[in-house]
Amino acid sequence: MSTNAIADTSFLIDWAKYSKRDLLFKIFDTVWLPEAVLNELKSENTVTWVVENLSRGRMALFPELTYYREEALRLMELSSKYPVRRLDYPEAYCIAVASDRGYIVLSENGAAYTAQFLYARAKVWRALEVLLELAIRNLISKEEVYKYEEETLHSFPRKDLERIGL
Amino acid sequence: MSDILRELEEREKEVAEMRRQNADWNYINTLPPRVRAAVILFIEKGDLRLSQKLSGLDLEDFIETLRKARVWIT
Repeated sequence: MSTNAIADTSFLIDWAKYSKRDLLFKIFDTVWLPEAVLNELKSENTVTWVVENLSRGRMALFPELTYYREEALRLMELSSKYPVRRLDYPEAYCIAVASDRGYIVLSENGAAYTAQFLYARAKVWRALEVLLELAIRNLISKEEVYKYEEETLHSFPRKDLERIGL
Repeated sequence: MSDILRELEEREKEVAEMRRQNADWNYINTLPPRVRAAVILFIEKGDLRLSQKLSGLDLEDFIETLRKARVWIT
């Protein structure tokens, strides 16, 4: 499994609210942030956490590169051929990078999550998959998912929770 | 492929239903018309970026609105 991830804004905004947020770095050595993501972060809580981890080298800025921009646009066009949610550029860019470099995409965007089952090579994890991986490594219990939901006010579909035995 | 598509479409329907059931309409009805329309679009379609753009809010503020409306379910 890759120890590199690339995160979009929707993931960071949520994950930064979680009291055990630094457990993310027990799974990933580096979490890359596309340049555009930095511009979207506003709240003090999220910005502080991101800046702290940029300075500690656990997060790093991923530049906007023409090659991945083109690939992201191709993925967006491809996504419009399916009768499910279309990809938008920020998530498409993360998927383009991750597909090429073997990273895992971190996103709460439903279109990105869906893409991995239809036309994208990259794996896309929501917080739920990160929490599950932490549970597999015995760093938290599976029930921690409920605490995450409470702290972030982000709910997961009941069927997804049933699927992991909750 | 058609099985996967069917499964994904079913999943989207289930998640939309959860959002409808959880929604705090007392809160949603207090929102400015544009933001309210965007929240309703998110409840029905789950399209985060399109809804956010419609709302006129930045992504972080829009997700905070979804949390308060109890529909931040993805």
